[in-house]
Amino acid sequence: MMNNKEQMLFDIGIIDFVLVDLMEYLDTHPFDQAAMDYFNHYAKIKNQMVKEFSQKYYPLTKDLAESNKEWRWGSAPLPWEGVC
Amino acid sequence: MWAYEKRLQYPVNIKKSNPKIAQVIISQYGGPDGELGASMRYLSQRYSMPYKEVAGLLTDIGTEELGHLEMVGTIVHQLTRNLSMEEIEKSGFDKYYVDHTVGVWPQAAGGIPFNACEFQVKGDIITDLYEDMAAEQKARSTYDNILRLVKDPEVCDPIRFLRAREIVHFQRFGEALRLTQDKLNSKNFYAFNPSFDRCSDCND
Amino acid sequence: MQDYRFDDNIDNFPIAMAYVPWQHFDQIFDNLEKAYRIGTIFPDLDKPFTGRRCV
Repeated sequence: MMNNKEQMLFDIGIIDFVLVDLMEYLDTHPFDQAAMDYFNHYAKIKNQMVKEFSQKYYPLTKDLAESNKEWRWGSAPLPWEGVC
Repeated sequence: MWAYEKRLQYPVNIKKSNPKIAQVIISQYGGPDGELGASMRYLSQRYSMPYKEVAGLLTDIGTEELGHLEMVGTIVHQLTRNLSMEEIEKSGFDKYYVDHTVGVWPQAAGGIPFNACEFQVKGDIITDLYEDMAAEQKARSTYDNILRLVKDPEVCDPIRFLRAREIVHFQRFGEALRLTQDKLNSKNFYAFNPSFDRCSDCND
Repeated sequence: MQDYRFDDNIDNFPIAMAYVPWQHFDQIFDNLEKAYRIGTIFPDLDKPFTGRRCV
Protein backbone atom coordinates (compact mmCIF):
# COMPACT_ATOMS: atom_id res chain seq x y z
CA MET A 1 0.00 0.00 0.00
CA MET A 2 1.26 3.49 -0.81
CA ASN A 3 2.14 5.99 1.91
CA ASN A 4 0.99 9.64 1.65
CA LYS A 5 4.03 10.77 -0.32
CA GLU A 6 3.79 7.89 -2.79
CA GLN A 7 0.05 8.42 -3.17
CA MET A 8 0.51 12.13 -3.86
CA LEU A 9 3.22 11.44 -6.43
CA PHE A 10 1.00 8.82 -8.07
CA ASP A 11 -1.92 11.28 -8.20
CA ILE A 12 0.35 13.87 -9.84
CA GLY A 13 1.25 11.16 -12.34
CA ILE A 14 -2.41 10.61 -13.15
CA ILE A 15 -3.18 14.31 -13.69
CA ASP A 16 -0.03 14.97 -15.72
CA PHE A 17 -0.88 11.96 -17.87
CA VAL A 18 -4.35 13.41 -18.57
CA LEU A 19 -2.62 16.63 -19.68
CA VAL A 20 -0.21 14.77 -21.98
CA ASP A 21 -2.98 12.76 -23.67
CA LEU A 22 -5.08 15.93 -24.08
CA MET A 23 -2.08 17.94 -25.33
CA GLU A 24 -1.37 15.44 -28.11
CA TYR A 25 -5.10 15.36 -29.03
CA LEU A 26 -5.19 19.17 -29.13
CA ASP A 27 -2.05 19.28 -31.29
CA THR A 28 -4.14 17.72 -34.06
CA HIS A 29 -7.51 19.21 -33.00
CA PRO A 30 -6.52 22.82 -32.16
CA PHE A 31 -10.10 24.15 -32.11
CA ASP A 32 -11.76 21.50 -29.95
CA GLN A 33 -13.27 23.59 -27.15
CA ALA A 34 -14.37 20.64 -25.01
CA ALA A 35 -10.82 19.28 -24.99
CA MET A 36 -9.42 22.72 -24.18
CA ASP A 37 -11.83 23.09 -21.26
CA TYR A 38 -10.69 19.74 -19.84
CA PHE A 39 -7.06 20.70 -20.35
CA ASN A 40 -7.43 24.08 -18.64
CA HIS A 41 -9.18 22.47 -15.67
CA TYR A 42 -6.53 19.81 -15.09
CA ALA A 43 -3.58 22.12 -15.75
CA LYS A 44 -4.62 24.26 -12.79
CA ILE A 45 -4.99 21.20 -10.60
CA LYS A 46 -1.60 19.81 -11.57
CA ASN A 47 0.21 23.09 -10.89
CA GLN A 48 -1.32 23.24 -7.44
CA MET A 49 -0.46 19.61 -6.65
CA VAL A 50 3.15 19.98 -7.81
CA LYS A 51 3.67 23.10 -5.67
CA GLU A 52 2.18 21.37 -2.64
CA PHE A 53 4.27 18.25 -3.13
CA SER A 54 7.46 20.24 -3.64
CA GLN A 55 6.95 22.20 -0.42
CA LYS A 56 6.00 19.17 1.63
CA TYR A 57 8.46 16.57 0.31
CA TYR A 58 11.01 17.49 -2.41
CA PRO A 59 11.07 19.68 -5.52
CA LEU A 60 9.78 18.00 -8.68
CA THR A 61 11.17 20.73 -10.96
CA LYS A 62 14.24 22.92 -10.62
CA ASP A 63 12.11 26.06 -10.46
CA LEU A 64 10.62 24.79 -7.20
CA ALA A 65 14.03 23.96 -5.70
CA GLU A 66 14.39 27.00 -3.46
CA SER A 67 16.99 25.87 -0.92
CA ASN A 68 18.71 26.81 2.32
CA LYS A 69 21.60 24.94 4.02
CA GLU A 70 21.07 21.90 1.80
CA TRP A 71 20.47 21.81 -1.98
CA ARG A 72 16.99 20.34 -2.17
CA TRP A 73 17.09 19.45 -5.86
CA GLY A 74 20.05 17.17 -5.26
CA SER A 75 18.58 15.58 -2.17
CA ALA A 76 15.46 14.39 -3.99
CA PRO A 77 15.26 10.63 -4.61
CA LEU A 78 16.20 9.30 -8.06
CA PRO A 79 13.07 8.36 -10.06
CA TRP A 80 14.55 5.10 -11.38
CA GLU A 81 15.28 3.49 -8.01
CA GLY A 82 11.60 2.77 -7.39
CA VAL A 83 10.13 1.82 -4.06
CA CYS A 84 12.23 -1.02 -2.69
CA MET B 1 14.33 23.17 -24.76
CA TRP B 2 13.80 20.55 -22.12
CA ALA B 3 12.77 20.76 -18.51
CA TYR B 4 13.02 17.72 -16.26
CA GLU B 5 10.38 16.58 -13.83
CA LYS B 6 11.95 14.36 -11.18
CA ARG B 7 9.56 11.45 -11.55
CA LEU B 8 8.79 8.70 -14.05
CA GLN B 9 5.79 9.18 -16.35
CA TYR B 10 4.43 5.85 -15.01
CA PRO B 11 5.69 4.00 -11.90
CA VAL B 12 8.21 1.18 -12.21
CA ASN B 13 8.71 -0.92 -9.06
CA ILE B 14 10.28 -4.30 -9.82
CA LYS B 15 11.42 -6.36 -6.85
CA LYS B 16 12.60 -9.53 -8.58
CA SER B 17 15.76 -9.72 -10.71
CA ASN B 18 15.47 -11.29 -14.16
CA PRO B 19 18.49 -10.98 -16.44
CA LYS B 20 16.89 -13.04 -19.22
CA ILE B 21 13.95 -10.72 -19.65
CA ALA B 22 16.21 -7.68 -19.20
CA GLN B 23 18.19 -8.78 -22.24
CA VAL B 24 14.96 -8.81 -24.27
CA ILE B 25 13.49 -5.58 -22.93
CA ILE B 26 16.73 -3.72 -23.69
CA SER B 27 15.60 -3.73 -27.32
CA GLN B 28 13.08 -1.05 -26.40
CA TYR B 29 15.95 1.03 -25.01
CA GLY B 30 18.45 0.89 -27.88
CA GLY B 31 16.94 -1.40 -30.47
CA PRO B 32 15.63 -0.64 -33.98
CA ASP B 33 12.06 0.05 -32.83
CA GLY B 34 12.84 1.34 -29.37
CA GLU B 35 12.23 4.57 -27.52
CA LEU B 36 15.62 6.15 -28.22
CA GLY B 37 15.07 5.72 -31.95
CA ALA B 38 11.55 7.07 -31.62
CA SER B 39 12.59 10.20 -29.75
CA MET B 40 15.53 10.94 -32.03
CA ARG B 41 13.39 10.35 -35.12
CA TYR B 42 10.62 12.75 -34.11
CA LEU B 43 12.89 15.39 -32.56
CA SER B 44 15.05 15.37 -35.71
CA GLN B 45 12.21 15.33 -38.25
CA ARG B 46 10.52 18.38 -36.74
CA TYR B 47 13.06 20.86 -38.15
CA SER B 48 12.07 20.31 -41.77
CA MET B 49 8.33 20.27 -41.20
CA PRO B 50 6.55 22.97 -43.22
CA TYR B 51 3.48 23.09 -40.93
CA LYS B 52 3.65 24.32 -37.36
CA GLU B 53 1.01 21.89 -36.09
CA VAL B 54 3.02 18.92 -37.33
CA ALA B 55 6.32 20.23 -35.95
CA GLY B 56 4.56 20.87 -32.65
CA LEU B 57 3.16 17.34 -32.53
CA LEU B 58 6.59 15.84 -33.29
CA THR B 59 8.14 17.89 -30.49
CA ASP B 60 5.48 16.81 -28.00
CA ILE B 61 5.52 13.12 -28.90
CA GLY B 62 9.34 13.13 -29.13
CA THR B 63 9.47 14.54 -25.64
CA GLU B 64 7.09 11.89 -24.31
CA GLU B 65 9.29 9.21 -25.90
CA LEU B 66 12.29 10.49 -23.91
CA GLY B 67 10.20 9.83 -20.79
CA HIS B 68 9.53 6.32 -22.11
CA LEU B 69 13.26 5.82 -22.71
CA GLU B 70 13.73 6.63 -19.04
CA MET B 71 11.08 4.07 -18.07
CA VAL B 72 12.63 1.30 -20.16
CA GLY B 73 16.09 2.10 -18.75
CA THR B 74 14.58 1.92 -15.30
CA ILE B 75 13.01 -1.48 -16.02
CA VAL B 76 16.34 -2.89 -17.25
CA HIS B 77 18.16 -1.36 -14.25
CA GLN B 78 15.73 -2.76 -11.70
CA LEU B 79 15.85 -6.21 -13.33
CA THR B 80 19.64 -6.38 -13.13
CA ARG B 81 20.91 -4.22 -10.26
CA ASN B 82 20.97 -7.01 -7.65
CA LEU B 83 22.24 -9.89 -9.77
CA SER B 84 24.63 -12.39 -8.21
CA MET B 85 27.56 -13.74 -10.22
CA GLU B 86 25.79 -17.10 -10.35
CA GLU B 87 22.69 -15.53 -11.91
CA ILE B 88 24.87 -13.66 -14.41
CA GLU B 89 26.69 -16.84 -15.42
CA LYS B 90 23.57 -19.03 -15.66
CA SER B 91 21.36 -16.64 -17.64
CA GLY B 92 23.56 -15.79 -20.61
CA PHE B 93 23.67 -12.20 -19.35
CA ASP B 94 27.44 -12.70 -19.03
CA LYS B 95 27.94 -11.51 -22.62
CA TYR B 96 26.43 -8.10 -21.85
CA TYR B 97 27.90 -7.97 -18.34
CA VAL B 98 31.49 -8.32 -19.52
CA ASP B 99 31.22 -5.07 -21.50
CA HIS B 100 28.79 -3.15 -19.30
CA THR B 101 28.61 -4.86 -15.89
CA VAL B 102 25.05 -3.95 -14.80
CA GLY B 103 25.08 -0.59 -16.53
CA VAL B 104 22.37 0.31 -19.05
CA TRP B 105 23.75 0.74 -22.58
CA PRO B 106 21.63 1.34 -25.68
CA GLN B 107 21.68 -1.79 -27.82
CA ALA B 108 19.20 -4.19 -29.35
CA ALA B 109 18.48 -7.55 -27.71
CA GLY B 110 20.64 -9.18 -30.40
CA GLY B 111 23.59 -6.93 -29.56
CA ILE B 112 23.55 -4.35 -32.35
CA PRO B 113 24.40 -0.97 -30.80
CA PHE B 114 21.97 1.90 -31.19
CA ASN B 115 22.76 3.88 -34.33
CA ALA B 116 21.07 6.46 -36.53
CA CYS B 117 20.43 3.87 -39.28
CA GLU B 118 17.54 2.80 -37.09
CA PHE B 119 15.53 5.82 -38.13
CA GLN B 120 15.12 8.06 -41.15
CA VAL B 121 14.57 11.76 -41.62
CA LYS B 122 13.65 12.01 -45.28
CA GLY B 123 12.86 15.71 -45.20
CA ASP B 124 9.53 15.17 -46.98
CA ILE B 125 6.51 15.60 -44.74
CA ILE B 126 4.40 12.79 -46.24
CA THR B 127 7.28 10.32 -46.21
CA ASP B 128 8.32 11.24 -42.68
CA LEU B 129 4.77 10.87 -41.35
CA TYR B 130 4.52 7.38 -42.90
CA GLU B 131 7.86 6.56 -41.24
CA ASP B 132 6.39 7.71 -37.94
CA MET B 133 3.20 5.67 -38.30
CA ALA B 134 5.29 2.60 -39.15
CA ALA B 135 7.58 3.27 -36.19
CA GLU B 136 4.65 3.29 -33.77
CA GLN B 137 3.37 -0.02 -35.16
CA LYS B 138 6.84 -1.58 -34.92
CA ALA B 139 7.12 -0.46 -31.32
CA ARG B 140 3.66 -1.87 -30.55
CA SER B 141 4.57 -5.21 -32.10
CA THR B 142 7.77 -5.31 -30.08
CA TYR B 143 5.81 -4.71 -26.88
CA ASP B 144 3.38 -7.50 -27.95
CA ASN B 145 6.40 -9.79 -28.28
CA ILE B 146 7.70 -8.77 -24.87
CA LEU B 147 4.28 -9.35 -23.25
CA ARG B 148 4.29 -12.95 -24.53
CA LEU B 149 7.56 -13.55 -22.70
CA VAL B 150 6.99 -11.69 -19.43
CA LYS B 151 5.40 -13.44 -16.44
CA ASP B 152 6.08 -10.92 -13.66
CA PRO B 153 3.11 -8.52 -13.22
CA GLU B 154 5.46 -5.79 -11.92
CA VAL B 155 7.12 -5.87 -15.36
CA CYS B 156 3.92 -6.33 -17.40
CA ASP B 157 2.32 -3.26 -15.88
CA PRO B 158 4.66 -0.53 -17.24
CA ILE B 159 5.11 -2.50 -20.50
CA ARG B 160 1.34 -2.49 -21.10
CA PHE B 161 1.27 1.25 -20.47
CA LEU B 162 4.07 1.87 -22.96
CA ARG B 163 2.34 -0.31 -25.56
CA ALA B 164 -0.93 1.65 -25.20
CA ARG B 165 0.92 4.92 -25.84
CA GLU B 166 2.19 3.60 -29.20
CA ILE B 167 -1.37 3.09 -30.41
CA VAL B 168 -2.36 6.63 -29.39
CA HIS B 169 0.70 8.07 -31.12
CA PHE B 170 -0.14 6.15 -34.29
CA GLN B 171 -3.56 7.83 -34.32
CA ARG B 172 -1.96 11.27 -33.86
CA PHE B 173 0.51 10.79 -36.71
CA GLY B 174 -2.37 9.56 -38.87
CA GLU B 175 -4.25 12.75 -38.04
CA ALA B 176 -1.16 14.82 -38.85
CA LEU B 177 -1.15 13.12 -42.25
CA ARG B 178 -4.84 14.05 -42.74
CA LEU B 179 -3.98 17.65 -41.81
CA THR B 180 -1.20 17.59 -44.38
CA GLN B 181 -3.45 16.13 -47.08
CA ASP B 182 -5.95 18.93 -46.47
CA LYS B 183 -3.24 21.48 -47.22
CA LEU B 184 -2.21 19.85 -50.49
CA ASN B 185 -3.92 19.39 -53.85
CA SER B 186 -5.80 16.10 -53.67
CA LYS B 187 -5.46 15.61 -57.42
CA ASN B 188 -1.78 14.96 -56.80
CA PHE B 189 -0.41 14.87 -53.27
CA TYR B 190 3.06 14.15 -54.62
CA ALA B 191 3.41 17.10 -57.02
CA PHE B 192 6.09 18.66 -54.87
CA ASN B 193 7.77 18.34 -51.48
CA PRO B 194 6.22 20.94 -49.17
CA SER B 195 9.25 20.61 -46.88
CA PHE B 196 11.60 21.77 -49.63
CA ASP B 197 10.10 23.11 -52.86
CA ARG B 198 9.27 26.80 -52.71
CA CYS B 199 6.62 26.58 -55.39
CA SER B 200 4.81 23.70 -57.01
CA ASP B 201 5.04 25.03 -60.51
CA CYS B 202 8.41 26.63 -61.20
CA ASN B 203 10.22 26.58 -64.49
CA ASP B 204 13.72 26.34 -63.02
CA MET C 1 -14.92 -11.08 -39.90
CA GLN C 2 -15.46 -8.08 -42.14
CA ASP C 3 -16.78 -8.34 -45.68
CA TYR C 4 -14.44 -6.31 -47.86
CA ARG C 5 -16.92 -4.28 -49.82
CA PHE C 6 -16.70 -0.90 -51.42
CA ASP C 7 -17.25 1.83 -48.80
CA ASP C 8 -18.79 4.99 -50.21
CA ASN C 9 -16.66 7.30 -48.12
CA ILE C 10 -13.12 6.00 -48.08
CA ASP C 11 -13.22 4.35 -51.50
CA ASN C 12 -14.04 7.69 -53.11
CA PHE C 13 -10.91 9.29 -51.66
CA PRO C 14 -7.96 9.83 -54.04
CA ILE C 15 -6.00 6.61 -54.46
CA ALA C 16 -2.26 6.16 -53.85
CA MET C 17 -2.60 7.58 -50.34
CA ALA C 18 -3.49 6.25 -46.88
CA TYR C 19 -6.10 7.82 -44.58
CA VAL C 20 -6.52 7.47 -40.83
CA PRO C 21 -10.02 8.42 -39.62
CA TRP C 22 -10.25 11.50 -37.37
CA GLN C 23 -10.83 10.78 -33.71
CA HIS C 24 -13.81 12.65 -32.23
CA PHE C 25 -13.87 13.84 -28.65
CA ASP C 26 -16.69 11.54 -27.57
CA GLN C 27 -15.74 10.24 -24.20
CA ILE C 28 -13.02 10.29 -21.61
CA PHE C 29 -12.79 7.56 -18.96
CA ASP C 30 -14.61 8.76 -15.80
CA ASN C 31 -12.09 7.00 -13.61
CA LEU C 32 -8.79 8.75 -14.34
CA GLU C 33 -6.72 6.28 -12.35
CA LYS C 34 -8.13 3.50 -14.52
CA ALA C 35 -7.28 5.55 -17.63
CA TYR C 36 -3.70 6.01 -16.36
CA ARG C 37 -3.23 2.28 -15.82
CA ILE C 38 -4.69 1.52 -19.26
CA GLY C 39 -2.48 4.12 -20.97
CA THR C 40 -5.02 6.50 -22.48
CA ILE C 41 -7.92 8.72 -21.33
CA PHE C 42 -9.86 7.83 -24.50
CA PRO C 43 -11.85 4.55 -24.41
CA ASP C 44 -11.81 4.55 -28.24
CA LEU C 45 -8.04 4.14 -28.16
CA ASP C 46 -8.00 1.33 -25.57
CA LYS C 47 -6.89 -1.68 -27.65
CA PRO C 48 -5.33 -4.29 -25.34
CA PHE C 49 -3.13 -7.20 -26.39
CA THR C 50 -4.57 -10.63 -25.71
CA GLY C 51 -2.50 -12.79 -28.09
CA ARG C 52 -1.01 -16.11 -27.04
CA ARG C 53 1.13 -18.55 -28.96
CA CYS C 54 -0.62 -21.62 -27.52
CA VAL C 55 2.02 -24.10 -28.63
